[in-house]
Amino acid sequence: MAIQYDIPVGAQHISLLEPLHFKLTTENEKIVDVEANVGYVHRGIEKACTSKFKFKQVSIVVGRICGLCSISHTTAYSQLAEKLLNLEIPLRAKYLRMLVIELDRIHSHMLCLSHVAENSGFEALFMQTMKDRETSMELLEAVCGNRVQFDYSVVGGVARDLKPEVAKMVLEHLKQLKPKIDDLMDIFQNNWSLSLKNKGIGAISKENAMRLNAVGPLARAAGVPVDVRNETEDLLPWKQVGFQMILENGGDVHARNLVRLKELYVSMKIIENVLNGLPEGDFFVETKALPEGEAVVRLEAPRGELFHYGKGNKTQILERLKIKAPTFSNIPAFVEMFKGNEYASAPAIIASYDPCLSCTAR
Amino acid sequence: MKRVESSVDKIVTDIKNFYQYDKHHFITINAVDLGEKIEVQWFFCEYEKPSDVIMFFIQINPTEQIPTIKKVIPAAWVAEAELVDLMGINIENTPKGFVLEEDFKEVPLRKK
Repeated sequence: MAIQYDIPVGAQHISLLEPLHFKLTTENEKIVDVEANVGYVHRGIEKACTSKFKFKQVSIVVGRICGLCSISHTTAYSQLAEKLLNLEIPLRAKYLRMLVIELDRIHSHMLCLSHVAENSGFEALFMQTMKDRETSMELLEAVCGNRVQFDYSVVGGVARDLKPEVAKMVLEHLKQLKPKIDDLMDIFQNNWSLSLKNKGIGAISKENAMRLNAVGPLARAAGVPVDVRNETEDLLPWKQVGFQMILENGGDVHARNLVRLKELYVSMKIIENVLNGLPEGDFFVETKALPEGEAVVRLEAPRGELFHYGKGNKTQILERLKIKAPTFSNIPAFVEMFKGNEYASAPAIIASYDPCLSCTAR
Repeated sequence: MKRVESSVDKIVTDIKNFYQYDKHHFITINAVDLGEKIEVQWFFCEYEKPSDVIMFFIQINPTEQIPTIKKVIPAAWVAEAELVDLMGINIENTPKGFVLEEDFKEVPLRKK
């Protein structure tokens, strides 16, 4: 039997942007077992939301869970509160929420792709992808007022309307972004040296992805058809604006890259359709009702299914708020993905998992 | 959301009889402190009809041990470990220390 070595990766590590710790057990260079520790940044946000803040303020608090998918948290929570209040919001607000969610998905997917490139030893591609991602950040700033979309969704709708000149700017910038995504697609799909680092690496089968309840691009890259945008017509009308599910079959780093790249095109199409078909009317509706009963909301964040559970008791303070982030669901599948791979492939696998520990530990 | 009531003795069997990994998506486990009792909730949806969330729930005394569902749903270990730390629920074969430190005495999400 070969000698086994335990190699710690994280919580502070050059290939990790997140405070996440792995103990990789290796035989020679092959990873045979993995332990994950995610508990470095627990901030007690659920506790704060049910003890210190009124339910309308909670949408502002949950926006601080994560800087990358702030809009997903604020939108999921706002939808949850609206269910507890039995409040119907204007269609324009729903369209504006979809617009920002998809702009957010573009910047988040491009961030992930850039880190996969970097962790695969492809610095130039990392810089190119980050440069192209800047377009989405500028558009988010133009629409929301911030590069990070804090507080755009609020209970009752969205915090600000979209000006016609900003809508025009978004459409023009997307036209410029499209050929850049084409270039990235060509490199990620066809570059020979990158394929050596990504094809067949960190693979998970469809059966294992289902058994381990994987979500998001990680599951879709293995062929599992899970995308909440395909399901929640009652809350946000995704199919009206051209949503299309992207699936791959490889289940490896390369397949996850392709899913994210193809989803960029879907996001751009959704944004164009939202702006071209933006309904007239209010973007916010006021209410003085108090939350009552219990409700759940699922929303497709860039990393997968985000789940909010809430219980109200007709007071200003919620009785319970539970938040389950996609990275949290993907931990069991992620641990499985490492096994049988070379230790040198670990950084690319980690980046392709696209972990977000701020969401996971909350 | 469909609520399905169960009991400590029957919850593993009920979930085992219901859950098929290629038909159902396991979402997470949650708990709500009701004061005298704690309500533990297991959330699922179907891949074919994902909008319908199904919730199994039991109500337990705060010190009561509940069985693990890891043998039925291997991925449930993360959600169970989180509940042990944050809600102080005693779950079979689930140690503390996943989200909080092992020696952390408080249970943050329980009402005093």
